[in-house]
Amino acid sequence: MTTHDTTETTESAVDPSEEGIDWQTKLRYFLNSDFVRSSPYWGIPFIIMGIAVYGGIGYNLAISFTDYAGIARPSFSSLDLEMYRRALADESFRAAAFQNFVLLVGFTSISLGLGLFLAVLLDYGIRYKETIQTIYLLPMALSFVVTAQLWLWMYSPGNGVLNIFVTALGFDSIDWLGDPRIALAAVIFALVWQFSGYAMVVFLAGLQSLPDDQFEAAKVDGASTTKTYVRIIVPQLKQASVGAAVVLMLFALKAFDFLYAITGNYRPPNGTDILATLMVREAFQYGQWAYGAAIATMLLLLSLAVIAPYLIFQHRQGSL
Amino acid sequence: MARVRLENITKRYGDETAVDDISLEVEDGEFVTFVGPSGCGKSTTMETVAGLTEPTEGRVYIGDDDVTGLAPKDRGVAMVFQNIALFPHMDVYENISFGLRLRKYDDEEVRRRVEEAADIVQLEGMLDRMPAEMSGGQQQRVGIARAIVRNPDVFLMDEPLANLDAKLRVHMRTELQRLHRELDATVIYVTHDQAEAMTMSNRIAVLNDGKLQQIAPPLVCYNEPTNLFVAGFIGSPSMNFVEGTLVEGGLETNNFTIGLDPGRLSGVSIGDDVTLGVRPEDVHLTQYADSLAAPTDPIDARTDVLEPMGDEVFVYLLLSEAAEGSMDQDPATSPNQLLMSVTPDTEIEANEDVDVVLDRSKIHLFDTATGDALLHGLTDRSEREPGTTPTEADS
Repeated sequence: MTTHDTTETTESAVDPSEEGIDWQTKLRYFLNSDFVRSSPYWGIPFIIMGIAVYGGIGYNLAISFTDYAGIARPSFSSLDLEMYRRALADESFRAAAFQNFVLLVGFTSISLGLGLFLAVLLDYGIRYKETIQTIYLLPMALSFVVTAQLWLWMYSPGNGVLNIFVTALGFDSIDWLGDPRIALAAVIFALVWQFSGYAMVVFLAGLQSLPDDQFEAAKVDGASTTKTYVRIIVPQLKQASVGAAVVLMLFALKAFDFLYAITGNYRPPNGTDILATLMVREAFQYGQWAYGAAIATMLLLLSLAVIAPYLIFQHRQGSL
Repeated sequence: MARVRLENITKRYGDETAVDDISLEVEDGEFVTFVGPSGCGKSTTMETVAGLTEPTEGRVYIGDDDVTGLAPKDRGVAMVFQNIALFPHMDVYENISFGLRLRKYDDEEVRRRVEEAADIVQLEGMLDRMPAEMSGGQQQRVGIARAIVRNPDVFLMDEPLANLDAKLRVHMRTELQRLHRELDATVIYVTHDQAEAMTMSNRIAVLNDGKLQQIAPPLVCYNEPTNLFVAGFIGSPSMNFVEGTLVEGGLETNNFTIGLDPGRLSGVSIGDDVTLGVRPEDVHLTQYADSLAAPTDPIDARTDVLEPMGDEVFVYLLLSEAAEGSMDQDPATSPNQLLMSVTPDTEIEANEDVDVVLDRSKIHLFDTATGDALLHGLTDRSEREPGTTPTEADS
């Protein structure tokens, strides 16, 4: 009880809630708090997420500052930005970044446009809506590797179905994926095929949430169907568009598996290299771990840059 | 402004008949309300006038023109919607001017007309607001301004007040009446609320099951309903109905008999079922009934539940012991119950035996089988046979 006696003498000078209670009581309070008692529930996902995601990001970032390559252990003694400088000076990195940008803009805008067009057609009242909706969504159910293989066959320069049409029309057969001038367009086309259904469903949900009164009001005011959609309906799909665009853009940034499958493993793709494929090739084919990590970090920053406007938009809408 | 004529309008959706052979005429500058329960076809009928629905059969005329096949924009109509249907991404000015801008009016003309319309519905200084920043009442004013600005021949209003709260609804009711007077406009108004219909209209068109039941001025619908449906629908609380049988010398019901000469009723004979209708305010306690010129014989009753409303008290009367235990029945249709309305200073308690009389001049008789009115008022003096008053349904 000696501790108790000493605290009592100083009680008047300090906050009793802080100093007047001995450490066992404090510990008991702490162990009984909601924070500690609920920890088995939030703690497990927190730890897994922390190690797997943020730990991974952190380790990747650390490696990107080293010169780690080949089978030696990484040395963290001299950390610098050399790999980032190397990437920016590297012709193939710049090409990949540019193609990635083209893929991002082309794929996202075409998918959104086509998806909106299909959604408006459906919304305007084509019968058998349910069936059509499913048909357009089906590509989404396929694995990217399967889609890639299908398109690889269709694009095949020798006996692919597209070239059968082309030669039947009297043209020379086209090497869709081999010709650097059109390979990227061919890839974008295949990706649009797979993703426009997704955009359509998002837009369709937005369209169907608009009350019929809006259409009737526009009609009584004298707007044609086209004008109604262009001036009244589509402007109200802002929220849906932003959501769909973010998903599509993020996919375009890291469309690794699709390109990996369609251009054949680690073979340097011809005109269709993007940051994700370049990163994997540098790291796992050439053993340039630090360089690959630097590319990965830049890819992450780009992804964050894509999400940021969306988060700001959501925040302004008051839903974040 | 113009008159509107519907000629044998029928609208079917597959096997469902939403509107069944409706013919009526709305005069130039008249305010006519389509009223009825939900699903009665009132909105569909209006949509055929607006051009949003094409009738399966029949013709629509606005002014002297057959507009049946015309698009809404070519009919000279403007519409106000229940859900207001403002365009949320446009500000008030853009909303009101949308129709004008589509028609390529020059900017100055658009601005002048928008400001004029905003002035009429008292929206000055709010033209740059977004709809989401406005109250429900203000939004509906924008909806009305959007209709006014186009200077239409006919205003169509589809339950425009239904989504507003009760207090605002009463306020907007008077606003709409003022507006009607100011614009001297032809208005067709749809509502399920009979109070709205009664207070605002020049004439009411009562619809049920897609059929026109009666079209007449509000008080004619109230005092001389053409059938059981109109009698029960117009007026709140609803009219009491007591089913009975026509006998020699009167109408016999479960609990009382009303004296009358059956010969005065055409279309029914002794032994036929006849329904007596009487409004709650025409049921009186015997001791307060001295001023009545023609009371019925006293009817024994027991008070059940009292509902003080402030300006009046609703008294639920049980006419026989059998009525007890059937509390959940609607007094308007239960043969052993009557709803009476008395003044608040009346001395009356629940579970009290009372004598009541009915005002014979306010008793309505209906053919139970067809629902058609047989007679309004049993006194010789004020006796009015249905059909002798000119109503649109008959002509």
